[in-house]
Amino acid sequence: MRAYLARAVGRELRAGKALFLLSVAGVALGVGAVLSIQILNGSALGAFAGTVRAVSGDADLSVLGWTGALDEALFPEVLAVRGVAAARPLWRADAVVEGRPGASLELVGADLLGAARGPSALPPAALEGALGTPGWVAVTPAWAEEMGWREGDRIDVSLGSRRARLVVGARVDFQAAAPLASRRLALMDIGQAQGLLGTRGRIHQIDVRAAPGVAPGALAERLSAALGERARVATPEQRTVEAGGLLSAFRLNLTALSLVSVLVGGFLVYASVRASLARRREELGMLRAVGATRAQVLGLVLGEAALLGILGTAAGVPLGWLAAQANVGAVSGTVRNLYLLEGIDRVALTPALVALGAATGLAGALAGALWPALDAARADPRALLASIAVEEGAGARAGRLLAAGLAALAAGLAVYALAGERLAAAGFAPAVGILVAVPLATPALLRGMGRAGLPHRLGIAYGLRSLGGRLSASAPAAGALAVAVAMLAGVTVMVGSFRDTVERWLDATLRADVYVTTPSWRRARSEATLAPEVLATLRAYPGARSVDVLRQHTGYTADGRRVQVSGVDAAVPGADGRVALVAGDAGEAMRALRERGAVLVSEPLARKAGLAPGGALALRGREGPVRFPVAGVYRDYGAEGGAVLMDLEAYARAFGPGAPSNAALTLAPGDDPERAVAALRAALPGAALQIRSNRTLRGEVLAIFEQTFAVTRLLEAMGLVIAAAGVTLSLLVLARDRRAELALYRALGASRGQLFRVFLGRGLAVGGAGLVLGLAGGGALAVVLVRAVNPAFFGWTLGISVPLRALALEALAILAAAAAASLYPALAASRTPAQELSRDAL
Amino acid sequence: MRSSALALALAAALAAGAAAAAGPEGRAWAPADPAHRWSFPRDHHAHREYRNEWWYLTGTLEDAAAPGRRLGYQVTFFRVGLVRDPPALDSAWATGGAVMAHLAITDPGAGTHRFAEVLWRDVPMLGGFGAEGDPVLAWAVAPPGTAGRWALTLGADGAFAVSARDDAQGIALELVARPERPVVLQGPNGYSRKAAAPGHASLYYSFTRMATSGAVTLDGRARAVRGTSWMDREMGSSQLAPAQVGWDWFALRLADGRDLMLYALRRADGTVDFRRATLLTPDGAVRWLEADAWRAEPLGRWRSAATGAEYPSGWTVTVPSAGIRLTVRPELDAAENVSSRVPGLAYWEGPVRLTGPDGRAAGEGYVELTGYGARARPPI
Repeated sequence: MRAYLARAVGRELRAGKALFLLSVAGVALGVGAVLSIQILNGSALGAFAGTVRAVSGDADLSVLGWTGALDEALFPEVLAVRGVAAARPLWRADAVVEGRPGASLELVGADLLGAARGPSALPPAALEGALGTPGWVAVTPAWAEEMGWREGDRIDVSLGSRRARLVVGARVDFQAAAPLASRRLALMDIGQAQGLLGTRGRIHQIDVRAAPGVAPGALAERLSAALGERARVATPEQRTVEAGGLLSAFRLNLTALSLVSVLVGGFLVYASVRASLARRREELGMLRAVGATRAQVLGLVLGEAALLGILGTAAGVPLGWLAAQANVGAVSGTVRNLYLLEGIDRVALTPALVALGAATGLAGALAGALWPALDAARADPRALLASIAVEEGAGARAGRLLAAGLAALAAGLAVYALAGERLAAAGFAPAVGILVAVPLATPALLRGMGRAGLPHRLGIAYGLRSLGGRLSASAPAAGALAVAVAMLAGVTVMVGSFRDTVERWLDATLRADVYVTTPSWRRARSEATLAPEVLATLRAYPGARSVDVLRQHTGYTADGRRVQVSGVDAAVPGADGRVALVAGDAGEAMRALRERGAVLVSEPLARKAGLAPGGALALRGREGPVRFPVAGVYRDYGAEGGAVLMDLEAYARAFGPGAPSNAALTLAPGDDPERAVAALRAALPGAALQIRSNRTLRGEVLAIFEQTFAVTRLLEAMGLVIAAAGVTLSLLVLARDRRAELALYRALGASRGQLFRVFLGRGLAVGGAGLVLGLAGGGALAVVLVRAVNPAFFGWTLGISVPLRALALEALAILAAAAAASLYPALAASRTPAQELSRDAL
Repeated sequence: MRSSALALALAAALAAGAAAAAGPEGRAWAPADPAHRWSFPRDHHAHREYRNEWWYLTGTLEDAAAPGRRLGYQVTFFRVGLVRDPPALDSAWATGGAVMAHLAITDPGAGTHRFAEVLWRDVPMLGGFGAEGDPVLAWAVAPPGTAGRWALTLGADGAFAVSARDDAQGIALELVARPERPVVLQGPNGYSRKAAAPGHASLYYSFTRMATSGAVTLDGRARAVRGTSWMDREMGSSQLAPAQVGWDWFALRLADGRDLMLYALRRADGTVDFRRATLLTPDGAVRWLEADAWRAEPLGRWRSAATGAEYPSGWTVTVPSAGIRLTVRPELDAAENVSSRVPGLAYWEGPVRLTGPDGRAAGEGYVELTGYGARARPPI
């Protein structure tokens, strides 16, 4: 019997080659989608952890500032703490390489003289250059090769408006110790780094190694006690966990999206197994009749599914790897620019990830096959042998499935209603409910379409309406398509709403005419300052009616929340127009900022930290926590973790003096912003600046927005490809299973063209059903994403706006895909010869 | 001569070595000047035109509470120049050199030798060298894990005060050393040649006898001590010749009141490349001894388990023209200093006892041995 089973699997595969290949493709795409996202997620964290390792080496602890930087006077204090075996001061900032768009150096200024060992150890001959050659820098071999730099080459860089000429003095392979570390890492002596590009007295990190026998935890406590409120102490693991926390919402959303691909792939497997079983009912009945046990039949079917899963995984793993490679740029850009973490240089496919891919593929395939397999195994042999159509059972089931779907939806909503307030993840419950309900409603819809009555001619319309009688093959395909469409439509509406909201927000708050910042600002933030002479030139510009400036750093609330803290000049005319408050009067709020030293908190922060006007917020200042009254909640779509806005004076009191990083000029009415941009550029030839008009800046903000959603779009596309494969698959099943019926049509005089059109109609019916249900589900999903998931994970309130044009284009594309997917099955069906007519079919 | 090579070992470990005597863009380091105009106390202070210099105190002490309980100590401050004219930078970290300091306490009775060290950038935050008029000659922040600073200061009364501690090692000392004899210039006008070829030399002077008192902490327990110290002060830019790998150095205080300083620079094969000596009599007369005027013959060997280096241990020292014939024996064999901050830097430095031909005690002193062992970094 066992030998028979093995042979049966082989025969079945040969017989349904196209069918089988399509299911394999479905599994492969699902595995690929999940794997690519997990690869990217893992690599994003790996890049951070690797860079920490490359920079800090075997340091047990890092002393870090609460306000983005650290007073270097703390260094001798750290050294004096009992149990410290070594301490390394580090100056860090990302400088932009001039004339090479997108190129930067992640500069690490270390004490090269005091560190004969550790990650900053240099070839002995290099130290004199590191101290004596102005601008000496060591770069990684990988980056040097990519940039075409050789030793002795000069590199012009900028940090803030300041320019410096660096000289490639040596190559240091940071990636040797940590392969995922950023290849942009570059090492300088701390004196040169700070002197050429930084600010006297300001460093960023002190790495500490504990003496033998001293527990890092105990040392951390001693250091914290010695430094008090002036610094924080973290282990490398804590820093990586913190980075993971920053990315968690981003990662979770991508993961959730990728799982939908598996769901769609699972439907495909279900459809294919179901079809194969429908065709083999008699065979299975015979087997049972001659003594095969239920377990053996179950094993046979699941064995086939496992093989399918294995093959799908084998194809899906390279696919996932390629997809990850293709998207590393977009994800890396988001991680670098939005979360200010390390970009991803290399994606790593670890054995654990391969195992995850295999588990996904196998589980997806087995789950898809389980129901039909159990069904077949459970059935009485006589029932299997009797040639009553499966369809009757399927038809009766449609109503029950619809009910089950509605129950799932209700359950999802109930979970959200009960736990939505407390548990962010509860926002996904209604989404899952929708994604379950959509396919379960498909059979009912198809049956409903069938009830409209059959037209009297064989053609597209006949195909469209006759599908209701072929539920077992067509419903899963339509269901899979509906899920994919729901996801696509839901995300399209969500992204559209988001974009629309951001655009309106930009309109409301980007009021100045000319914006001045520096090329390095996007990454270096508080380190990328405008030199005093630049500010003076801006202020002296004759056309400027007012000049507003901004200081910003990544800070912490007293309870440890990482927030973006900004200081602006609340007294600048028109300052109230700069923010859009969720509620209340902006003029009033600005006055509170100016006169009471109050702050505005962004909507995500207000939501996550439970803040409201009239309350208070404690932020970590230079010397300890500083309490600020909260004057209002403002809309912000730039900082997921939350943002705080205050007047520059209050900012300086809490966080110390410093130069602003951004400036905005309001011109006299009627002045041409583009002309002012050109004039300012000409007036400041020596400084590294980005001077942009309102219009240009707006475009750039939206471009970054699009970049963030690039991966989302890829996942949508993968889901759709799987679903299109499903359409082909289901029609192939129909063409094969119904050979006898088709033969009868042919015998009765139906032309090939008529049969072709019938199948095209069936394809369109599957596509249409998927589209209708998908759009309905997608609409509901969009509401869930915008109203529940977004506020819970990101804290943003979005207005819903439906991008009709985009949706219409997608709908057309889906119908076209469905039609295209029908071509081959329709052709195959139309070729059915009349001789296939059998007595059974009559 | 002393530890010129020590500092150069550091330089070699950290930088290109003596070959690159000039910074990439700056002036070259000044060679030792045979016509140097000596002036004290000015010359006790740093001379930044030279690549390297050091203040080197060694001595033997007696526990005031336990007569007969002897301790040896060594405290050294090195200034290591790497770039003579570093770029002008608005940064408190900007520097062209390093301050390194070594502390060792030898307890022959307990058989222990403890070593501590610091190595910092030569910046006001971490250490440095006082200018003329500043009582502080050299100082450095204590090693990581220990509060406070190490310092060598010069009092108005001409006494030197030295303090250093390392809590992780449980050692500290706080001593005042008062010169009992005037400065001795080691070589004509203090110009101390290190090789037959010209240019390899340093400026070198010593206080051979300094009455010393204060406190020494061992294993966390402080004890009052008194004894005698020897201070060497040396500066220069290019001391060792290319073929030289290390040296043997002796600072001996004879019981008859004479003081003897010997040094021999060795080649890689162990043969002596260049050697000189200075003999000081109690009346203050100085004799500079040429190579043929004295001998130091090793009596045995001691192998370090820590570095695998094999050092000579025990010598017969003869100066026939002065009627000197001494046996020099280490008070403790295991007196090796192994740096953990400068890879490959290890040397032997410890107290020795002198006996005469009749077997009677004939004095005490300190010996330094560098460049031994395969793993020892070549000085240049």
